[in-house]
Amino acid sequence: MNKGDPRELWEYILTHIELSISPANFNTWFRNSFIVKIGEDGVVYIGVPSQFFKDWYLKKFNTLLLKIVRDVSYEFRNIEYLIVKDENRRLSKETKTVRSSALELPLDDFYINKSDNLNPRYTFDTFVIGSFNNLAYVAAQAALERPGITYNPLFIYGDTGRGKTHLIQAIGNHYKKQYQGRKVFYLTSEKFAVDYTDSVQAGTANRFKDKYRQYDLLIMDDVQFLSKKEKTQEELFHLFNALYDTNKQIIFSSDRPPAAIPDIAERLKGRLASGMAVDIGEPDPESRMAIVRKKAASHGVLLSDEVVDYVATSMNGSIRELEGMVNSIICHAQVKGFAPDIAEVRQSLRSFTRPQKNISVKNVVDKVAEFYGIDEESIYEKTRRREVVRPRQIIMYILREDFRISYPTIGTKLGGRDHTTVIHSCEKIKREIVVDSELAQEIQNIRTLLV
Amino acid sequence: MNILIEKNKFSEAVHIVSRFAQKKSATLPALSSILIIAGDEGIKMRATNLETGIDLKLEGECTTKGVVAIPAIILQQIASLFTQEGKIIIEHIGEVISITSGTSKSSIKTIPYDDFPSIPFPENPKNRIVIPGILLRSLFTSIASCASTSTVRPELSSIYISIEGGILTAVATDSFRLAEKKVPLINKGLQGKFLIPAKNALDIAQALPDNDIIMSFDEHQCAFVSDKGMLVSRLTNAVYPDYRQIIPKESIVEAIILRKDFENALKRTTIFSDLFQKVRISFDPKKNVFSFFARNADIGESLETIPANISGSALELSFNHRYLSAVLSLTTSESVSLLAAGVGRPLIIKGMNDTSLLYLVSPMNQ
Repeated sequence: MNKGDPRELWEYILTHIELSISPANFNTWFRNSFIVKIGEDGVVYIGVPSQFFKDWYLKKFNTLLLKIVRDVSYEFRNIEYLIVKDENRRLSKETKTVRSSALELPLDDFYINKSDNLNPRYTFDTFVIGSFNNLAYVAAQAALERPGITYNPLFIYGDTGRGKTHLIQAIGNHYKKQYQGRKVFYLTSEKFAVDYTDSVQAGTANRFKDKYRQYDLLIMDDVQFLSKKEKTQEELFHLFNALYDTNKQIIFSSDRPPAAIPDIAERLKGRLASGMAVDIGEPDPESRMAIVRKKAASHGVLLSDEVVDYVATSMNGSIRELEGMVNSIICHAQVKGFAPDIAEVRQSLRSFTRPQKNISVKNVVDKVAEFYGIDEESIYEKTRRREVVRPRQIIMYILREDFRISYPTIGTKLGGRDHTTVIHSCEKIKREIVVDSELAQEIQNIRTLLV
Repeated sequence: MNILIEKNKFSEAVHIVSRFAQKKSATLPALSSILIIAGDEGIKMRATNLETGIDLKLEGECTTKGVVAIPAIILQQIASLFTQEGKIIIEHIGEVISITSGTSKSSIKTIPYDDFPSIPFPENPKNRIVIPGILLRSLFTSIASCASTSTVRPELSSIYISIEGGILTAVATDSFRLAEKKVPLINKGLQGKFLIPAKNALDIAQALPDNDIIMSFDEHQCAFVSDKGMLVSRLTNAVYPDYRQIIPKESIVEAIILRKDFENALKRTTIFSDLFQKVRISFDPKKNVFSFFARNADIGESLETIPANISGSALELSFNHRYLSAVLSLTTSESVSLLAAGVGRPLIIKGMNDTSLLYLVSPMNQ
């Protein structure tokens, strides 16, 4: 037994105590206690749920416990009892601090201020800046410095899960802090549309107009959903003019540039693009690693570089998915009480990255051939036409990476090829997806077809 | 042990004390039992479930000293069925005790009392205030219902008590509504705050006597001491949210309504509320009327208009009717004042001439 480890020491103590007292006593008094820490001066601190426990421990179990720990080592001089916080009760030992921070987090947004709709969790402090979003960040800072003048409207676009909502909400939260007394309002375009139709239905369209014209900073998320809603667009158009003319800052976000939003009135499109339109691109590997690290650190979990690297590179995709993966690791860490190593992470994230189902080679060939619009027979043939070679290599790569089929088997199944050919193909694709994001995306899409 | 007690005194004590014993007998048998102590300090009954604890003095004659633990549920059943006036004799012989009352005699098996835990008293007895028991009882019983019943957030299922400047403030919220009640204190100097689990507060309220008690507390434990005995409870060890920041500072409209009108109109409207228990209220300053409206697609709809004194601008808000009616049990004043800060912002309800109460309820989405 490692006597320096509180958990092992406690388990050792429990096994001894269990023998000397009745099961009812043991269950009542010892189930919710644990060793908080072992002091350097040889004092063992035991965490108990309440004063009842503390008194009873001192009265009944102190000598017994002391005897047991002394038997382990004479280094233990004394036992002290601490009453632990409610949040930490019934939790395993080392994750204690981790848990409490994870649980206490919602306290801040317990009362989301209903008047501005902003979620206080989104701030610039938690926003990771990398080359992919640097421009958007700088534009946001500039807009905050001289709101309504520098970049009005500020239009931020990028694919889902790139941090648009985080950025625009952070602007709102920061604005609120910087310019106290001014009014901020955050909403999604969908909410705007619903609000508008409701007001028309209730006959209170004027109140609706007044409500939105009073804000000094209006933030509208996901404007692409306004397409085809002509009346709502018109309302937004008038609102935009009213705010713009009085130099009120407006911020929009969308998943595509203003010009590419379909079915939206030209005059509104022009206005959306009239200020500053910035793109949040795909995060580069370094940024992804920074995000993983920051997210894990915010929960008090320290991940090894290996794990961070694996999580950041094992899957291309949105930051949201990345956060999902980190969350699952954190959950793991909290349940087990220590940060997982690379092997465990690989195991637990397999469900995120790789299709699990057993699947026949023919099925994979079918799907890939269909994806690239080629005849599946040609995959098995000896042809070296360019449009066939690439899919064939991808098939080999997927069979190897996702389904762990041996190189010779892959070779035989795909028309009797040598295993070195297969190895070469796999390595080639593996090299290329690092540099070619389009290819990586394609493979990701194929994987979703295979699940 | 040999003691002699009045029947009704005994029943009353058992009734109070058994509430503090553990309900499920799955764990330590001592926890679901009542400890009867006959000693130098007279006769006492004790019970604890490790959340709360009680130590109650009983009037009676003690001929032989002794300690005994008896299952609370058995004692409670016996005590509730006593008829007639008179006295009972409790005698401890070997492993059983016998309770003799008039012509009947019952023997009950005892439980080893070695396992019965001690009832802890706060370590720092400096934090103490004197307060009438009846006041604290009504405070706890009225406000505890506003605390959350879920155990996910221990701080929200607790009552927050803060003592400052000679005023005791009690707050309970379940994040949909919030009640704050203030009572003046006799001794002014003390400052302090603690969180008592609402469930424990209710149990303690039932056992509080009417006369003055001494309430003392430290970080983890609080105690209520009277001439009849002592009650203790574990305290919630968590941070209470800063509730003051959500109370709107300004209002756009105020309505003053007779409590009777408010209560009756609300009750009638409630019949028509929908699945979400939604009731819409509207302030009409032009006509000086206040109205309730509810619509249920299956039943029908109802509109109640009541005269009111309204100042400010017109406004409509929707609420869960249970949260509106809850305020009636919190104040006794003849008329209530409703202050609204705008659409989507919480409504403040106060009793007229009753500065002790502040009730905040957040509206439903329109």
